[in-house]
Amino acid sequence: MEGHQRNLYLYERFNTQVVGVSRDDVTTLQYWAKDLGLTFPLLSNVSGWLGIIFDVQPGNQPVFNRRTAIIDRKGVIRYVRDGSPDYKDILSFLKKLESEQERP
Amino acid sequence: MKILVIVSCFVAAVFSICVSVEAGAETADNHAHKTSQARQNPDGTIEFGGEFKFQPPPPPWEFIQGGDAGGFAFGFYRKDPGTSRLESTFFAYDEEPYGYSRNPEERAGEFLKRFFWASHVKVAVIERKKMPVLGGEGFVVVMEGKDPVKKTKVRSKVIFGKRGERVVAFYINQWRTDDGTYDLSAFDAFDRFANSLRFLRKSFYEAL
Repeated sequence: MEGHQRNLYLYERFNTQVVGVSRDDVTTLQYWAKDLGLTFPLLSNVSGWLGIIFDVQPGNQPVFNRRTAIIDRKGVIRYVRDGSPDYKDILSFLKKLESEQERP
Repeated sequence: MKILVIVSCFVAAVFSICVSVEAGAETADNHAHKTSQARQNPDGTIEFGGEFKFQPPPPPWEFIQGGDAGGFAFGFYRKDPGTSRLESTFFAYDEEPYGYSRNPEERAGEFLKRFFWASHVKVAVIERKKMPVLGGEGFVVVMEGKDPVKKTKVRSKVIFGKRGERVVAFYINQWRTDDGTYDLSAFDAFDRFANSLRFLRKSFYEAL
């Protein structure tokens, strides 16, 4: 997540908003965001339905698996990677999407 | 209005403990079966990954390449005299030091919140100053820490500089038992390494 914070200025250039989604409660996320200095939105989804939508909800566990998804302007999920975010891969993909949008 | 959205699913508790300074490190032995990205030139300098060039310290310093999982890019390790395995010195160049600010002095404050966090060392900053680094603005912090339980101590120096828009860092940690003496000549070797580093091409971020 600190890597996302580090790259916010680049996401801005690609007209992109990053959002964190976790099953942690709001108080935990507020403390965590303040400690790390995160300024982008973190969504608390204690019930876990977003985890089911993104297929990151392991059975009977109160956590999400780590996964990064990129959604385009039409609402289509264009990128999905599991594990820790690969920030260079994410930025390269955003650049690719930008070039697609520049084409007539 | 933003046209793209990155959704990052995570667990706050997991990230809050991932703060080991040397995470991702691979020793030269561990790395022997992987292709080294380092190449030594006839003049003694090392080119790394076609991207960096620097003057290595003389033996017994051992070159260490950072792991694929992140952490430092490359550095050097030396086992120092003493009865404990702990007595050693490690220094490195890091493209993604802790924190996020693009101002070296602000980045230093963010970095120090996490540096040594997992080691339970009580750190005291003994010097902070602005100075030119990599031909531009920079900031340097020198600190010493103690672990009263393990009866160890560490002296560290972190140099923050800029590569393009982003902050990069060099750092050195020298560990000793609490009655040991620091070898400041290692810090001179570290300074020479940091001063010698040159970029051979634009970074990923500069070329993006």
